[in-house]
Amino acid sequence: MGTPYFDYHALAPVIVLAAVALLALVVDFVWKDGGRRAVPQIAGIGMLLALIPVFTLAADGETRVMFGGAFVVDNYALAFAGFFLIVGYVAVLLSYDYIDEGDYYRGEYYVLLLTSVLGMVVLASARDLITIFVAIETVTLPTFVLAGWRKHDIRSNEAAIKYFIIGVLSSAVMLYGMSLIFGLSNSTLLSEIGSVAGGDNPALFAVAIFLTLAGFAFKVSAVPFHFWAPDTYQGAPLPVTAFLSVASKAAGFVAMLSVVALGFFASPNSWQPVIWVLAAASIVVGNLAALRQTDVVRMLAYSSVAQGGFILVPLAVSGDNDAARAGFQGVLVYILIYAAMNMGAFACVIANARRTRSTEIQSFSGLGRSNPAMAVVFTVFLFSLAGIPPFAGWFAKFVMFRAVLDAGTTAAVVLGVLAAVFSVVAFFYYGTVIRRMWFHAAVDLGDTGSPRVPGALVAAMAITTTVVVVIGVYPQLFAKIGDLAFRAT
Amino acid sequence: MWEQQVAFWVIAVAMAGAAIGVVRANNVVHAALFLIVVFAGSAAQYILLLAEFVAWVQVLIYIGAIIVLFLFGVMLTRAPMREERGKLDNSQRLASAVVALFLFGVLAVFLIDAFGGTELRFRDSMVEVGSAASVGDSIFRQFVIPFEVVSMLLLAALVGAVALARRD
Amino acid sequence: MTEFYRSYLAVAVLILAAIGMVGFMLGLGRLIRPVRAQEQKYIPYEAGSDPTGTFGQSNVRYYVFALLFVIFDVEAVFIFPWAVNLESLGWFGLVEMTIFVVVLTLGLVYAWRKGVLRWA
Repeated sequence: MGTPYFDYHALAPVIVLAAVALLALVVDFVWKDGGRRAVPQIAGIGMLLALIPVFTLAADGETRVMFGGAFVVDNYALAFAGFFLIVGYVAVLLSYDYIDEGDYYRGEYYVLLLTSVLGMVVLASARDLITIFVAIETVTLPTFVLAGWRKHDIRSNEAAIKYFIIGVLSSAVMLYGMSLIFGLSNSTLLSEIGSVAGGDNPALFAVAIFLTLAGFAFKVSAVPFHFWAPDTYQGAPLPVTAFLSVASKAAGFVAMLSVVALGFFASPNSWQPVIWVLAAASIVVGNLAALRQTDVVRMLAYSSVAQGGFILVPLAVSGDNDAARAGFQGVLVYILIYAAMNMGAFACVIANARRTRSTEIQSFSGLGRSNPAMAVVFTVFLFSLAGIPPFAGWFAKFVMFRAVLDAGTTAAVVLGVLAAVFSVVAFFYYGTVIRRMWFHAAVDLGDTGSPRVPGALVAAMAITTTVVVVIGVYPQLFAKIGDLAFRAT
Repeated sequence: MWEQQVAFWVIAVAMAGAAIGVVRANNVVHAALFLIVVFAGSAAQYILLLAEFVAWVQVLIYIGAIIVLFLFGVMLTRAPMREERGKLDNSQRLASAVVALFLFGVLAVFLIDAFGGTELRFRDSMVEVGSAASVGDSIFRQFVIPFEVVSMLLLAALVGAVALARRD
Repeated sequence: MTEFYRSYLAVAVLILAAIGMVGFMLGLGRLIRPVRAQEQKYIPYEAGSDPTGTFGQSNVRYYVFALLFVIFDVEAVFIFPWAVNLESLGWFGLVEMTIFVVVLTLGLVYAWRKGVLRWA
């Protein structure tokens, strides 16, 4: 046996990201103060550097398989790797002033952020259970610490502890499921798990799939595994909340999509009902709970639970071969669009929290008069989240409903009707914030901060607004990515 | 293979007893000591399954390091050393008992359904599979990426712990 | 019984003998020692001073040492399977292990530079 085949071009995004994370750490501890100022730039540039090989690989278009199929760089992997890197870059932009001004450690923050994104990029290419597990852990472990980054704030501690305990428990459940799958398939490769499909023991295979999916459901905070999300989102530093609700959630969906599409697909009776229930419960509970919130972060937390339900809808109806392509593409496109609009919404929340030192919904009162530009941007994101054309959110809902119609089964139609009804419910809570901004006079909140929106936040808003508006009027761009990603399968 | 059966049941009963001890102990240090018995039992089970390397990893990492971490963690808390009944319990005993029994029942039924009656026949030639050499072969040829990512994961754990423990 | 089990039977016998010996000595002591209960005898011995009842909460800084120990223990565990395959893995294995060790060493240097390794 010689040395394993190594394709450095295919591994370049991972290598660059790991190198940048180590560089950030070294810069932080070698040059004490001057270095700390450089670390955020290093992190931002590093994310963009790692994006270069993603583009060259995409231009090349060749599917690269390594380690007997455990690590594959194809269009699917590249689409998500690029997505995670861009989200990571926006997360750096969101963090820049927030971490700079607070009493936080700067260097470590970005090192942990980079490590988490590294896990995501590996996850996008992972095609066996061990690699998926290690990648998922690399995604979540740094975020446990980041959620508790405001060490002297009891809410932040609560956020970290809750997230940590639930996260570790879910990992244990997931790992148990994976070990059963390995026992039944005698392989950790998704392709071989798919071809064995439990062998003579479909019942135990179904239990194993259930446990594995339950683990992922915690990560994506799907109902009934969502209890940690509102408290953690509220207690964590706001940029971390944005990162958790977009990047780390998307990582959970990618893991779910990979194991379902490549591993469990041949036994739809085992995974389809599970995902159907998760999707339906998330849509109902997320939307209803969001109606009652007075804090915009909690509202966005429940709204992200609900959006997670919408993302699961195409997956829940993709059980047979005809519907699979539309379903998987629907998940991918929805994740990309959701990321842009939710990240943008959090940029506005962070900017508003700088201004008013509050995340209550009433703190948005009168924003339309005091800072009309930001109010317009935030309104765009909320419209998009609600799914109102011409912003990108409508296209996400469109691909979701198209997947439902493609499937055409009774279960799919029921889920589609549920999604339609609760999309309307969602108008109410997004509308509340919009009404506050435009039709209410400003509420005096006493201690106010700086009204200036810093450059990094403006850049983050610009990127996300561009995506939301461009994809809203020209959705073929993301549709094309979705199409390419699943061309091979 | 009756010797193997006897050994399995002796170890399994000891492990189950110690596991109950972990959750029943009113003194957290006693709970940690019970946990050592559970870990040692699973190491012995790995030996029975011819997974020699994994068994010693279990001893080194879990009994060696994780228990140390546990005891340090215990010392960070203000948990009572003396027996103060009820303080470590919460009001959800009934619910947790129901969930635990349900889970146990479901897993037992499905596992027995799948593997009941299957007999494992070990031969000396199988020992090779569980050796350090063959595990190393998998790690360093097949699972290179996870292996290197684990180093980043451990680094992140260290950096995170230092950031949380620092006082300046 | 296979050769493998036979070799571990010796380990099992040794463990049982150790447990038996402790039990035997404690049991023998219990049988032949006089038992006169006195309150003071049940107080834990703490170098002559009266114990305060519970243990003092230790400082979170010490936790970093325990965690460092765990991390380098894990590293050591990975080194064993690498060492037995050293020749067949060759340069490739050496590079792999070097990266792994260097990454973790950076963590140690980081902890040292941030001053969390000072006891005082």
